[in-house]
Amino acid sequence: MSAPGSHVAHHFPDLETQAHAARLGMWLFLATEVLLFAGLFTAYALYRMLYPSAFAGASKLIETSMGALNTVVLITSSLTVALAFHYSKESRSKLAAALLLVTLALGGVFLVVKYLEYSHHFHDGHLPGRFYSYAALQVPGASMFWTVYFLMTGLHGIHVVIGMGVLAWLAVGAWRGSYGGAYSTPLEVGGLYWHLVDLVWIFLFPLLYLI
Amino acid sequence: MSAPEHASHKHGPGRYVAVWAALLVFTALTVGLGRIHLAGGWSIVIAMVIATVKASLVVLFFMHMKEHGGASRLVLATTLVFVALLMGLVLLDNATRFPLANPPTEATLPLMPPGPDATLPAAVPARAAH
Repeated sequence: MSAPGSHVAHHFPDLETQAHAARLGMWLFLATEVLLFAGLFTAYALYRMLYPSAFAGASKLIETSMGALNTVVLITSSLTVALAFHYSKESRSKLAAALLLVTLALGGVFLVVKYLEYSHHFHDGHLPGRFYSYAALQVPGASMFWTVYFLMTGLHGIHVVIGMGVLAWLAVGAWRGSYGGAYSTPLEVGGLYWHLVDLVWIFLFPLLYLI
Repeated sequence: MSAPEHASHKHGPGRYVAVWAALLVFTALTVGLGRIHLAGGWSIVIAMVIATVKASLVVLFFMHMKEHGGASRLVLATTLVFVALLMGLVLLDNATRFPLANPPTEATLPLMPPGPDATLPAAVPARAAH
């Protein structure tokens, strides 16, 4: 039986079993997320196979340096989340909270860079379907690149926003000392979600920016 | 199970920083190779290999798959099988079709029957040719 004030829910024999269940549950959820993105990656692969030259031409219109910057930003934010979990296990909760805040700031930088890119594409008519109005690249399939681009980066961007919400909530909890020591599972599970966001971007970056 | 779990508490923050540095090196590598266009579609193969290596580093170390795999390893492996099925079968289907059964490309567009076509940019006067 769990003692009053314990972090172990009554249906788990001990903290370790509970952590295992939480981890497995999160991986099952991440599996559904991976399959959700896999649908879009399949659409990308199919249309790139059908329109190789249109995809290569449209890809030149996105700034590689912006994508590379965002890759570095997300990789670094993954590091700070991993470190937050690490220090939470050592019961250094305030440091963990500070590292989560750094992660949040990096997520903010990612979104600002993405906003700058989007506004450039909106201005130049790099848009999906009948909204496509870029005169210098008029070939079949050019607008499909932007359909795929906005669907993939848009869904990824929504995940960044949701991840930032989760991390903000975890940062408050860590600052108040709700987690720490053996009970750091919320930070671990929240971190897994943020790492998935990083994983998706690791594949999106070369596929969209470096054709 | 408890032996590797024990090991996970031993390593310091240095391991995470080392993984981060490796990820940055691979990012620089993929950007550098992206500027060189290799013949025969090798660019995409190399870019995907690098991305897979980066993803493996994130999964193994940042997501702790190395220390506590167990059932989550099975979940990940099953996921990847279904991703391969989805992508593989869709691409096989379209790659082996009679060309006109796919959306029109530059090569097949003149052979297509006239009609509204979402894949064609609005400004192209190609419709007038029909």
